[in-house]
Amino acid sequence: MAKPQSMIEQVRSSIAVEFDRKRKPTLHPDKKADKKAKHRAKHHRPKKAAFFRYCYYDPAFKFFVEQVLDVDYLPLPEATRQTTEVGVQNSSDYVCTPYKHILGDFVEALDLGADMVIQFGGPCRLGYYGELQESALRDMGYEFEMLNFAHGIEKGYLGWAKEILSKVNPDIDIPHGVVKLKGTAKMMEQLDSARDYFLANGGFELERGAYDKAWDAYMNALRCAADERDINQAYQQVMERFAAIPINKPKNPIRIGVVGEMFTAIDERSNLGLDHKLMALGVEVHRMLNFTNRYLHYNEPNLRVGAKDYLTYDMGPTSTLTIAAAKQYAQSGFDGIIHAKSAGCTPEIDCIPVLQKVSEDFAIPILYLTYDSQTSDTGLDTRLEAFYDMLAMKKEKLS
Amino acid sequence: MPEKATWADISVVGIPRSLLYYRFGVLWTTFFESLGRSVVVSDATDKAIADRGEHLSVDECCLASKVFMGHVDSLIGRCDAVFIPSYPTADHRTGFCTKFQSVTDVARNTFRDQKLEVISCEVGNVRKLRDVRRPFEELGVRMGATRAEARSAFKAAWAAQAARDKALAETQERTLRQLVTQRRAAATHPETEPPLGILVVAHPYITHDAYLAGAVLDALRDMGATVVFADAIDHDRAYKKSFEFSDTMPWLINRELIGAILLTEDKIDGIVLISAFPCGPDSMTDDAIMRYIQGKPILNLMIDAQSGTAGVETRVESFVDILHFQQKGGYTHG
Repeated sequence: MAKPQSMIEQVRSSIAVEFDRKRKPTLHPDKKADKKAKHRAKHHRPKKAAFFRYCYYDPAFKFFVEQVLDVDYLPLPEATRQTTEVGVQNSSDYVCTPYKHILGDFVEALDLGADMVIQFGGPCRLGYYGELQESALRDMGYEFEMLNFAHGIEKGYLGWAKEILSKVNPDIDIPHGVVKLKGTAKMMEQLDSARDYFLANGGFELERGAYDKAWDAYMNALRCAADERDINQAYQQVMERFAAIPINKPKNPIRIGVVGEMFTAIDERSNLGLDHKLMALGVEVHRMLNFTNRYLHYNEPNLRVGAKDYLTYDMGPTSTLTIAAAKQYAQSGFDGIIHAKSAGCTPEIDCIPVLQKVSEDFAIPILYLTYDSQTSDTGLDTRLEAFYDMLAMKKEKLS
Repeated sequence: MPEKATWADISVVGIPRSLLYYRFGVLWTTFFESLGRSVVVSDATDKAIADRGEHLSVDECCLASKVFMGHVDSLIGRCDAVFIPSYPTADHRTGFCTKFQSVTDVARNTFRDQKLEVISCEVGNVRKLRDVRRPFEELGVRMGATRAEARSAFKAAWAAQAARDKALAETQERTLRQLVTQRRAAATHPETEPPLGILVVAHPYITHDAYLAGAVLDALRDMGATVVFADAIDHDRAYKKSFEFSDTMPWLINRELIGAILLTEDKIDGIVLISAFPCGPDSMTDDAIMRYIQGKPILNLMIDAQSGTAGVETRVESFVDILHFQQKGGYTHG
């Protein structure tokens, strides 16, 4: 397995010497900034909100910001090398890679004119991303507000609703907001379902790029959607368009299941276009891990039942999904599994010993990929091609 | 669902001297001993255990969890079953690194071929007695005790752990008071050396494992410093204090450490942070501490299997030199 070398070779001690206390020992924004933010919220000054870049969910975030929060949405252009570099420079060395990507996104969003950024909360290090990123951005000199869903998380939806009302927009029409929130969830589900079809068939298109074109059109249609009817219509259109694309799919293609960490295994910027690289090799790709299966339909205890030979307890945020999916792929005769995660992702590292047993029991090869901000694109190509060749040879031998 | 007494025939319970043993060990051992079992705690970490753990673990794991696997391995054949509980993030502000949640299943899978028997329970919010009592009661029942027996065993265990935590906290308080008196004495009598109080901030399984942090502590003491342990400061007070620093920090132990810094800041001269490479929670909290705790110099040390003690000594020495220089008024008029 590739060791993230960049982490190992860095200096292992540092000293901070500051004899005068120039700031209070607290991450809370100071009282003045807090008061200003509350004042702005009260008078609902026009706001431009931005999300970080996350997979293909940008239209859903846009819908959420415009329709539920009722503030302007600031779309981000494609990420560049610069984005990641800014993120890396302003993060501690061995924090997980998504933190660095997201910090870079926020810097870019604030440079482009956003005055509010939105961050999730979660059960692993993700739960602390927001507060630390907010402090890092303030240290860099930015003035902004952060809607951080790690606040209010202990009270669930009620806590979040309160957070939104007090921080973003006190005039939200709540019944209207709930309807639109349902629309957002619907959009997420349909995005995931369309993506599943795309991954399973995109590798076999006769005309190169036909699937990507249809996908881009779908994303554009969703960005213009204002209600559930538009969302449904766009979904119907893209599925029809997908189905009409001529493909040349062998009867028994190489099938690979992708499992791993919520950010890196899905987000093509972080995993260097894993989906497209696999499809270009002519692989039928499956990935149970997505927003729908992790949040909207997630029933961890029941999912764990299927993998109870391997799991006694919930092992982490996406661990049960990783193991259950891997076992399902193995049982249904997939050719291989790819486990993708960011460097230092503790819960997914802990899945590896379990996956090794799955691999042993079902004689299914697993490729373990660890991404940090310096993972090389060509290196990944070589490993994927070698993995594909191995699976193809194995398949030929068995048939 | 009534629990079956599947673990009734286990008479010797093995406990790895690693990770949360340093935090909840007294509770665990007292619980099993009250149930009439004998307890074998693995030996102190040495190179053999660490190497074995390294060999058994995925190489990206943190040093502390690698050492843990070595401890589990060393218990094979010395007990009927190894006790490895799971501590998930049951509450968003008193959680743990996901390592403590997954460690049961990681060990079960790693040692599957050795047929290692692992007994465990899933503990809820550790700051709430009832959340901890329930899983331990169920564990007791599975070991063949009646519910009442399990309950009284837990009661004894909880009390023993609380007593130990209290004793440790009092020791730290005494040391801190001593530092203050010595400093006052030194101020009136210029011929006496002022004391040098160093707060060591690290997870208890680092601080109190001589193999991991011993070199740092020795170096500090050799330089004449008085060491105060942040992880032993009154947990409850430290936890509550930590909310002044951060609203959303999810980890209990890191909360207690940061709270301890805020509580003792005025009575100490310097802070030493020690992390095991690459600790997940520390990767974020150390960053916050280095940027936001001002007024006291901070040394941030990262230990891993490769680092020799020589490197540690020079770093600690240069840090203590900074503190001495400052005590003599060195940097104030710079």
